[in-house]
Amino acid sequence: MKDRVLIANRGEIALRIMEACENLGLDYVVVYTPGDEQSLHVKLPQAKGKACFRIASYRDANDILAVADEAKCTAIHPGYGFFSEDFRFARRVVKRNNPLIFIGPRWEVIRDLGHKLNVKKLAHDLGIPVIPGTIIPLYNELEAEAKAEELFLWQEEQGIEPPRVLIKAAAGGGGMGIEEVDDLDMVRPVFRRIRSYAKRLFGDDGVVIEVFIRDYHHLEVQILGNQFGELVHFGTRNCTIQSIGRQKRIEIAPGFDPKYTDYPFDAQKVLDEIVKHSLKLASYVGYDSVGTWEWLVTRAGKPYLMEVNTRIQVENEISARISRIKGKEPNLIEEQIRAAFGERLGYTQQDISFKGTSIEFRLIAEDVKHGFKPLSGIINRFEFPSYEWLRVRTHVPQDEPYRIPTEFDPNLALGIVWGKDTFEAERRGFKFLEGTIIEGQTPKGEPLLTNIEYLKKKLPEILKFL
Amino acid sequence: MALDNRKINQLLQSFRANPYRIFVVVTPHTGYLREFLVKEGDEVKGPTGKWLEKLGTPLFILEREKNPKTIRAKASGIVSKVNYELEGRFVEAFEPVLEIKHSLTQKEIIAELLRKTLHIVTAPEKARYFLSPELAKKIEKEGEGKVVVKPGEELAIMSFMKRETPILHEGPPMVVFRVFFSQGQMIEQGEPLFGLCLENERPYVEKLISRVKEEWPA
Amino acid sequence: MRELQRYLQELIDRVVYLQDIKGENWEGSVYLLEDLKQLKEKFFQIPEKECHHLLESYETRLKILEDRAARELTPYEIVKITRNPQRFTLLDILENVYDSYTELGGEGDINVDPAVICARAMISRRVGDKIYLHQVIVIGHEKGHGEEFRNGGSAKPWGNEKALRYMRVAETEGIPIHFYIFTPGAYPIEDYPGAAQQIARNLYFMSKLRVPTVAFISEGGSGGAEAIGLADIRLMASRGYYSVISPEGAAAIEGKVKEGERPPRELVEFCARQLKITAEDNLRLGTIDRIVPEPPLGARRNDYQFFKRLRYEMIRATDEVILRTKSLKAFRSYALRRKKEEENPPEDFDIHVRWDLSEVEIEKLLDLRSKKYRQMSRHVLGLTKCSFRNYVEKTQDVGLRLYHDFRYGVLKQSQKIIQRVMEDLSGEGAAFLRQLTEPLKTAYDLLSTRPKRPKARVLPVEEGLVDLPELYVSPLALEDRTVTCPNADTRGCPDIWVPDLYGEFCGVCPNCGYHFPLEYQWYLSNIFDAKSIKEFNENIASGNPLGFKGYDKKLALAKKKTGRNSAIITFQARIGGISLIVAMLIADFRQGTVGVAEGEKFIQACDRARITKRPFLAFVHTTGGIRIHEGTLGVIQMPRCTMAVREYIDAGGLYLVVYDNNSYAGPVASFLGCSPYQFAIRSTRIGFAGPRVIRETTGEDIPPDYHSAENALRRGHIQGIWDRRELRKKLYEALLTMGGKNLYYK
Repeated sequence: MKDRVLIANRGEIALRIMEACENLGLDYVVVYTPGDEQSLHVKLPQAKGKACFRIASYRDANDILAVADEAKCTAIHPGYGFFSEDFRFARRVVKRNNPLIFIGPRWEVIRDLGHKLNVKKLAHDLGIPVIPGTIIPLYNELEAEAKAEELFLWQEEQGIEPPRVLIKAAAGGGGMGIEEVDDLDMVRPVFRRIRSYAKRLFGDDGVVIEVFIRDYHHLEVQILGNQFGELVHFGTRNCTIQSIGRQKRIEIAPGFDPKYTDYPFDAQKVLDEIVKHSLKLASYVGYDSVGTWEWLVTRAGKPYLMEVNTRIQVENEISARISRIKGKEPNLIEEQIRAAFGERLGYTQQDISFKGTSIEFRLIAEDVKHGFKPLSGIINRFEFPSYEWLRVRTHVPQDEPYRIPTEFDPNLALGIVWGKDTFEAERRGFKFLEGTIIEGQTPKGEPLLTNIEYLKKKLPEILKFL
Repeated sequence: MALDNRKINQLLQSFRANPYRIFVVVTPHTGYLREFLVKEGDEVKGPTGKWLEKLGTPLFILEREKNPKTIRAKASGIVSKVNYELEGRFVEAFEPVLEIKHSLTQKEIIAELLRKTLHIVTAPEKARYFLSPELAKKIEKEGEGKVVVKPGEELAIMSFMKRETPILHEGPPMVVFRVFFSQGQMIEQGEPLFGLCLENERPYVEKLISRVKEEWPA
Repeated sequence: MRELQRYLQELIDRVVYLQDIKGENWEGSVYLLEDLKQLKEKFFQIPEKECHHLLESYETRLKILEDRAARELTPYEIVKITRNPQRFTLLDILENVYDSYTELGGEGDINVDPAVICARAMISRRVGDKIYLHQVIVIGHEKGHGEEFRNGGSAKPWGNEKALRYMRVAETEGIPIHFYIFTPGAYPIEDYPGAAQQIARNLYFMSKLRVPTVAFISEGGSGGAEAIGLADIRLMASRGYYSVISPEGAAAIEGKVKEGERPPRELVEFCARQLKITAEDNLRLGTIDRIVPEPPLGARRNDYQFFKRLRYEMIRATDEVILRTKSLKAFRSYALRRKKEEENPPEDFDIHVRWDLSEVEIEKLLDLRSKKYRQMSRHVLGLTKCSFRNYVEKTQDVGLRLYHDFRYGVLKQSQKIIQRVMEDLSGEGAAFLRQLTEPLKTAYDLLSTRPKRPKARVLPVEEGLVDLPELYVSPLALEDRTVTCPNADTRGCPDIWVPDLYGEFCGVCPNCGYHFPLEYQWYLSNIFDAKSIKEFNENIASGNPLGFKGYDKKLALAKKKTGRNSAIITFQARIGGISLIVAMLIADFRQGTVGVAEGEKFIQACDRARITKRPFLAFVHTTGGIRIHEGTLGVIQMPRCTMAVREYIDAGGLYLVVYDNNSYAGPVASFLGCSPYQFAIRSTRIGFAGPRVIRETTGEDIPPDYHSAENALRRGHIQGIWDRRELRKKLYEALLTMGGKNLYYK
C-alpha cells in the first residue's frame, strides 16, 4: 500500500512537510480550519488536487484521526506545537484499532522527556550538568527553605552576586508560576503562594527551586536517531536573541563562532561538551526521531541542560543549511519521516561535515516598542528578494491580500540566509532584511507594524556575550 | 440616546414585516452523518424548561471515532431545508446540514432593539472573549441591568494571539444592561460585546422594553 | 326528630367512610347510600315512627356490610383507613389521652412546621382513689383533618429540627418522651440542612437520648417515621401501617410506571400485601413491640373508648421501660400482671411508678436500647442459630479487645507521656537542653519504629504515602472509541478517547473536571495500599425475608452478576500504612440498597473498628436507599446502624463517609448522614429523594443541580468535595488529621 501522510498542522511547517513528502515520493492530506482558507498551506495543495479537509480545530485529535481514516492515511505528521509533544496523542495514534505511524519519537520517549523535572533527574543521574536546585518536587515549606538556603550558599561560594533563586511550579511552563527570590526570608511566603497557584492552575502543588541563572546564551543541539539505535547530531544553534516573552527572533548555526567573536572561555570545547552530553541522554532513552536538546551556557562557560524538545522545530533548517551528508545538504523533515517509517540512516557521524554559518529571521507583525504586542490585520504587500543563498519559508500569499488569523502564533515568514562564514551570513542577513517589504493595515486602519527594524538592530549582537 | 421614537417605530415595523430568522445548523466537527431525525416542514424546539434543562429536538446523528452524537436544535422553529444528500456521507466540520426558520421571540426582539439603543462596546479584534470574573460575579448576584461599572474597571478579557488583554470601561459610570456574548465565544471584530447605558437613561430603556412586551406578547 | 336526623347523618357518614376504604361500588354500599339519601330528601314527609323503623333496618344492613368489610380488610384498605381524614390525629390524642398540654414551638398554622407538634403534656394515672400526674414531652406528626397547612403530616427539615430541639429539652429536664408517628414520609426537600441530613441528626441523637421513650405508630412512612421513631418501646395501632415506601410508590417502581401516571389498583394492592405493612406483620417481624387494638374499621376522632385504651397503653409502656432499668423482678411481675389484663384493661392501675431515672439506670436504659436495636431483624439472617460459632466469635471478640486495649491503650499511654515530656522540653528556652534530650529522643523514635528524619523540623506528613504501581486497568478503558462529556455544550469539552479517560484521567474530564462513573473495583485498586485488603463477613447474604413475590429471581441474578452475596463489602485495608476498616456499598448489587444483610455487615464492621481502634470508612459507591423488598426490616437498619456508628464515635473513633455517584434516601438519612466527616467525590449527587419523587410530592420542578455535591456542601451536609484523582491522598490526610483520640495510631 502506498503511504499517505496526514499533515496535522498549518502554516509554513505544513508547507515544509509537504515538500519533504514530495521529495520522498509520499502522498499527503491536508487539514485546515476556517480562517486559514487563504493560507498557502491550503491553496497550494488544493491547486495540486490534494485532499484538503476542513476540521473543527487543529487541537481536535478526534477530527484529525477521523480525517486520517477517511482519507486512508498511514501516518500522521504533527509538525510543531499542537500535538507534536502530546504523548497521549502519539500513543493513541499507534494504539488505536486502526494504528497509524506517528512521525516523531515513541510515545514513551515523548512522555519521559516531556516532563522537565524528569529530564533533570535523568540528566543528573547520568552526570549531565543541570541547573543547581531540586530534582524532585517539594511540597513542604521547611524543606523548601532548607534547599533555598543551600542554593544561596552555593552561589556565594561561586561568587555570584547577588544570589538569587527561582521558585516555580513543577507542573508549570511558559513563564507561568515563576517567581524570583533574593532574600531567604521571602522563600516561605513565595513558596506558599506558588504552591497554591500551582494547585489551582495545574492541579499539582509540587514546587521546584533552582538557582536563577542570568547572563547566558541559549544553545541547542540538533539530534537525529532511529529505532535501530543509530544516533547522529547536526551541530549546534544559538537562539539567544528573543523577545521579552522569551520567544525566539533570530537563530544562528553554529552555536558559537570563535572566528567571529571572542569568548571568555573555550567555545569549541563547550560546544563539544554539550553535543557529547546530549548524545549520551539521547542514547540512554533510545531516542528515535529528530529532537533538540536545549542548553544554557553562562558567561563563565558553564553549560546546563534545560529541556528536550521531542519534535521538529521552527529553526531546524539552519542546522540543515550548514550540514553536509557526504557533501549534500540534508532535509531534517525527510530524515524524520524516514526514521518514522523504519528506514536506516545510510550514513554515520563521520559522513556529516559542517560548512559556513546560517541565520534565521522570524518576520512577525508585532509592536516591538509595546511589549512585542502581536498585531492582526490585512497584509496588502509582501515582497522579498531572491538570492541563491536565501530561503524564505512562508504561508502568506504574495499575489493577494492576506488576513492574519488571530488564534495562532503571529509568525508571517522565516528568512534563512547562508554564508561561508558568519561575517558573510551577517552581511547577507542585512541584505535580506533591507529587501523585504511587508505592508498592511490593522483593523483600526493604522499601518501594520513589523519587527524588521528590530531584527536589523539585533543582527550585530548575534553570538556575542555583550 | 442613540435612537428616537420614530426610528424605534421603524425598527419594530421591520420586525413585524419579517418576524423570522433563518438558523443554519452546521456540523460541529467532522464525521459520518448517519441519519436525519427530522424532515423538511417538521417543527423543532430549542432547549426548554425553567433551567433550559430539557434538551432541544434531535436533528441528526453525527458519528466520529465511534462516538455517535445526537445534534439537537438550539432554536425553535420549522425545518425549512435539509441537505438530504449528506446522509451516510463523511462530512467536514462546519458543513451546513439544515436550516431552521425561527420566529423571533419577544426576548430576541428586545435584544436586537437594545443593540441599537444602548451604548455598545464592540469587539476590538476577532478573538475569544471572557467576561471579567469580578463582573461575572456581580452580575450573577445582582442580575443583568443592575451592575454599574466605573471608568477603568475591567469588562472582559480578550484572548487574542495566545495573549490575554483586558478590555476596560471608558467614559462615565454606566449600567451594564446586556452582555451579548457567552463565555469564551469567538466574536468577529466590531460585533457588540456589551450594551451599556447611563443611570439616567435606564428608565427610557426600561420603557422601551415594556413597550415591546406589550406590542409583542410572549 | 332532631335525634333521628343525627342518626341518619351518622349512618350516611359511616357508609361514606366504608366506601372510602372499600371503594365506591363495593358490594351493595351504593344502594344503601342511595336509600339513605332518598330518606334524607323526603325526611319530613315520612312519619317519625316509620322513619325510625327504616333507619334501624338500614343500620342492620350497614352492620352486615361493615362486619364483612372488617373481615375482608386488605393491607391496602388499612392504608386507606390510616389516611382517612376522619381518623384520629395527634391533636385528638392530646385532647383525649392527656390531661393538659401546652404546645411548644408554634401553634396551628403559626408554626415553624405545622406538620410537627411538640408539647409539654400531663398524663394521669389513678391508683385507688389517688391521682398521680406524669409529665411528658409529646412529639409527633399532625396530619390534621383535611387542613392543607398540616401538609398531611409530612415534616419539613425544620419540623424535624424542632422535634430534636424538644428532645433535648426533655433530656435536660429528665422527663420521658412520647412519640406519635403519623406521617406518609418526610417532605423530600433539600432546604437547609436537607431532609436526609436532619433525620440523620435526629437518629444519631435519639440513639443515646438519656430519657425513656415510647413511640406510637399510626402511619409509619419510612424515613419520615424513623426521624422520631428510635424509641425504647414501639407501639402500633392495629389499623395503622408501617412501611418502607407507600404501596403506590412501590407499585410505580415495580410496574415501571411513567411519571404522572397512576399505577393500577391491583398492582398497588399486590405491593401493599408484599411489603408486609400491617401491625400484625410488623409484630411478627419484630419491628414493633405491641399492638394497640382499634375498632375493626379503625378508630376515628371521636372514638373515646380507643383513647382510653391508648392512655392505658402509653402509661404501661412507659412503666415497662422504667422498670426494666430498675430490677428484672419488678419488671417481670409488672409485665405479667398487665399481660393478664390485655383483653380487657382496667380503668385504673394498681401501682404507681415514678418516671425518673438515676444515672446508673440511665446507663442501663441506653444499654437496653442498644441491645434491642442491635438484635432487631438479625433473626432473618440465621446467624444466631449456630450457637457454637457465635460463642467462638464472642470469645474472639473479647480476645481481640483485650489485645487491642493492651497494644494501643497501655503502650500508647506511655508513649504519650514521653511525648508530652518532649514537648515540654522542646518548648521555649529549651534549646540548650537539646544536647541532653537528643539521645533520649532518638531512643523514643526507635521505640516507636519511626525512622529518624535528618532534620527534626520537617513534619512527618509525607512519609508513608507512596504512589501505587499501575496495576489495575478499568475494563471500560479497553475500547477504541470516544465519548462526549456531559458538560461539552456549556464548557466546550472535546470528546475524550476512552482509553485515556478511564486510564490516566481516572474517569475525569481533563477540561471541566466532570467525573464519569467508575466501577467499584477501581477504588479497591486505587485507594488502598497494594495487597492490603482483607475482606470479612463475605458470607452474610441478602435474602428475601418477606417472601416478596418475584424478588428471589432478581436477587439471584444480582448475586450471579456480581459474584457477591450482598450490596456491601466490608474489609480491613491500609492507606499509607495506616490500617482501617472499610464498608463499601456498591452500585452493581441492586443499586447499593440496604437490607438486613447490609445493615448487619455494616454494624459488624463498625464494631470491629471500635474494638480494634481502627478508623472506619464508609465508601458509598452508590446507594439507592433502603431495599424496598425487605420492607420495614430494611427500614429498621437506619436506627440499627446509626446506633452502632454512635457507639463507635463515642468510643473515640474516626468515622469517615465518602460519597460517589448517587446516594439517596434511608442510608443517607441515617448511618451515613450522621458522620461528622462526610465528603463527596466531584459530580456526585446526594439527597433524600430523587427528582421524580420530589416533583410528585411537592408539585414543583427542581433545578438540574439540586442534588449536586456543590449544593450539599453549600447547605453544610458534606464537608468537602474531593477530586477522584486525589482521593488516596485526601483520605490519607484525613486519617492523619481527623478523628478521636482512641485511634490506635494517635
